[in-house]
Amino acid sequence: MQKLGWTALAVLMLAACSQEDGGAPGNDGADETPAADETKAAKTADDSADGADAAQEAVRPPTDPYPSTYEPYPSDVVLITGATLLTGTGAQIDNGAVLLQDGKIMAVGAVGEVEAPESATVIDAGGKWVTPGVIDIHSHLGDYPSPSNASTSDGNEMTSPNTAQVWAEHSIWPQDAGFTRALAGGVTTLQVLPGSANLFGGRSAIIKNVPSRSVQGMKFPGAPYGLKMACGENPKRVYGEKGGPGTRMGNFAGYRGAWIEAEAYKKSWDDYWADHEAWTGKDDDDEDKGDAPDAPERDLKLETLAGVLNGDIRVNMHCYRADEMVQVLDMAEEFGYKVSAFHHAIEAYKIADYLAENDVCAAMWADWWGFKLEAFDTVPENAALVHAQANSCAIIHSDSATGVQRLNQESAKAMAAGRRIGIDIEPKDAIAWITANPAKSMGILEQTGTLEPGKMADVVIWNRNPFSVYAKAEHVFIDGVLMYDRSDPKRSPRMDFEIGQLNNKHTGGAGQ
Amino acid sequence: MSRDMMSTLLGAAAAALTLLSVANAQTTAIMNGEVHTVSGDVIENGDVIIEGGRITQVGADLSAPTGSTVIDAAGKVVTPGIFAPYSGIGLVEVSAVDDSYDASPDEGFVLGAALDVRDAYNPSSTLIDINRAGGITRALSTPGIGDTLFGGRAAVIDMSGNVNSITKGDAAQVAVLGSGAALRNGNTRMGGWAVMREFLDEARSYHANPNDYVRRPHDGRFAVSDLKALGPVIEGEQPLMVRVDGANDIRTLIRLKNNYGLKVIIVGGSEAWRVAAELKSENIPVLVDPLFNLPSQFEDLGATLKNAARLNAAGVKISFYNPPGFGAHNLRLLTQQAGNAVAEGLPYDAALKALTLYPAEMFGLDAQLGSLAPNKIADVVIWDGDPLEVTTQPEAVFINGQRQDLNNRQVALRERYRDLSRGDLPHAYRGGD
Repeated sequence: MQKLGWTALAVLMLAACSQEDGGAPGNDGADETPAADETKAAKTADDSADGADAAQEAVRPPTDPYPSTYEPYPSDVVLITGATLLTGTGAQIDNGAVLLQDGKIMAVGAVGEVEAPESATVIDAGGKWVTPGVIDIHSHLGDYPSPSNASTSDGNEMTSPNTAQVWAEHSIWPQDAGFTRALAGGVTTLQVLPGSANLFGGRSAIIKNVPSRSVQGMKFPGAPYGLKMACGENPKRVYGEKGGPGTRMGNFAGYRGAWIEAEAYKKSWDDYWADHEAWTGKDDDDEDKGDAPDAPERDLKLETLAGVLNGDIRVNMHCYRADEMVQVLDMAEEFGYKVSAFHHAIEAYKIADYLAENDVCAAMWADWWGFKLEAFDTVPENAALVHAQANSCAIIHSDSATGVQRLNQESAKAMAAGRRIGIDIEPKDAIAWITANPAKSMGILEQTGTLEPGKMADVVIWNRNPFSVYAKAEHVFIDGVLMYDRSDPKRSPRMDFEIGQLNNKHTGGAGQ
Repeated sequence: MSRDMMSTLLGAAAAALTLLSVANAQTTAIMNGEVHTVSGDVIENGDVIIEGGRITQVGADLSAPTGSTVIDAAGKVVTPGIFAPYSGIGLVEVSAVDDSYDASPDEGFVLGAALDVRDAYNPSSTLIDINRAGGITRALSTPGIGDTLFGGRAAVIDMSGNVNSITKGDAAQVAVLGSGAALRNGNTRMGGWAVMREFLDEARSYHANPNDYVRRPHDGRFAVSDLKALGPVIEGEQPLMVRVDGANDIRTLIRLKNNYGLKVIIVGGSEAWRVAAELKSENIPVLVDPLFNLPSQFEDLGATLKNAARLNAAGVKISFYNPPGFGAHNLRLLTQQAGNAVAEGLPYDAALKALTLYPAEMFGLDAQLGSLAPNKIADVVIWDGDPLEVTTQPEAVFINGQRQDLNNRQVALRERYRDLSRGDLPHAYRGGD
């Protein structure tokens, strides 16, 4: 990629961006994930659907057929003490302490307020800063992995403008070396999205940044799914000469047509379940009872869209221009769903008030711009201007295998730009742009995203104020497990591709 | 001095500039800053005097010349302007919009080395204003590479946006080798190197006797204008900037350089640290992206954040370039890249040299540019803090001794939309004065 001329590079960049958007807000994951035995029961019912067994249950398509098998590794009880804490809740605690136990944050407070058992490993973090684990709401790690070539390019199903049926997790390669580099940047959770070539790109996957032999081994337990959608230039560029859409109005016709189909699909299932319930309620001796109603045919594409209409799946909308974002919000109103976040919201500052009123997050870069016309109007103060609104939700995202390694620096630039025009933003506020706010948008704030008792012990110790170019993550804990220690090569993951290379040496690893 | 007082002084200085810029004889005294001369020591309470577009004095306890605009830089950092040694500046406005993109030819275009950025350089590009506000004062406006192995002739420009802002035309030729050359030549590295040798042989043949050459029959694979443009390259006078990454390709490049007597600058060099000793002894500088650390391709298996630090430790001259795809819009991030290199072990003074003096050296301009020293062209930046820190911005930028306007299109957009209230008229009526 580095070897090509500017044109080729620009095109590649577009491809990367087109691969990227996604991320829809949805409901909290907990009530979306059926217990395993429920899933099994549903499958059984499905299998016997043709049997017309009088006792049969209603068919319920599985909601979690590729369930998370993630399980934290053993961890010590750890007391981090003497550090400056940025809690992600808007607080800064100087000379603070955090206790990690059984994979959870047990206590957070000033030194002296936090008591630790004698067995605790004590990390003297004087002069260090501690934050929640960094969350990237917009990643393509795993679906556009390193090495990057035709064999590994699995991020954009550019075969139809609506591929809501594809799931990013079926593309994610857990051996992507990029995960290790992101870990060294303090990233503990990512939302991996399909690309943005399509109006409907497919489902996202929310994963913990812990290496595993399978994607299921990385999946964030209980996290809701997102749906990636895309506005503007990318879909019309990709499909303009392939049957459309070829215009922005074509894009909207495509979205709306699909939502109408999804409404009908959702209704067919809702009707079926209602009919089935009525049928079940009838006495077996009732002569009018007849056979159980037939379940509708499953349609993977519409199943995902219906999941959005149900509120189970969160819409992550790649959208650069202010006017298009406003159109999208009307469309969401039209069909009764919610947009969780606009991604790449280059012009969010032009409608920051409107986004806040509509309770929509804006996920932004600090300063990327100009690679296409819809990315021409950014300002360095974009995130700060969004943040300055009451009830705002500003997020800094990466969309990049290098950017994800320095989301702290990206936030620092955006914070500093805001401060220079008089917006009062401190590190204790801006840290939420890469922790609590993406967690909220992704539906995992109850589990992670802040330093609060009871949450997953996803915690980063930085060697200094993380809003600095010189800051490095020294220790990264995920569910209380020390997954990365900058001073210990044994605590640095190294993917299969990078071992036994360069004359039988190991390359790569976190911190490479 | 308080920030407010500073602002007042700067404001006064800006007002003065409006009057003086017409006179074209601005004298400026930057007093009491932390002055990083780059070619010499850091002066804690240092002064820089600018007269007639040149730096005339640098030191401590200097006197401001009579009639000069005095800027109190107490608490500020003063450095030479940042020099971006590889960029698409002035050649691209929006990468994906054809009519605003001149940085490289489309597929199938026959010429390469003959292309000259001076023919397309647009000093009114908004990218110039935006990056100038980030402290960039000079840049190499560099053609991208099309179908041939050569991209064309780059020019050093100043970031004033003035009509006459070419500092040095024909400053370098650009080429691709390694995997990029393979893509264009049979999809094997061998093809790329073989065609490069053919090209150089043909250029020698042309330059040995141009009149004779044009009379002889040729199969048309090499355009005469390309061969003509390669004259200073085969003479070893003009730097040939070569995009190449893997250690293996770098070693082949060293052989090529010595066989043909070329002057070479490596662009990319993700594995250059593995060849650091050879690069040092061959006197080959390397432009690195210090944030690149992924095995994107097999040739990048050795890519590491420590590339810059290791090359510098081995005595190799380095500078920085922006990652691919953003090579024009965000030159202002070069300081962040440098800061990251420092965080990975590059000494601070080496990082500053890489941003200023070393690029000037690479293009033969170090007698004029690249440090704060008497008689040098006054490209100077006053920063509100550590220039490598992500929270720092320039407060004043001088190019050719002239204080620059730091407003730009992004500032105009920001000001237009800071107030989102409906107002008496639409936003389209606001700002823009």
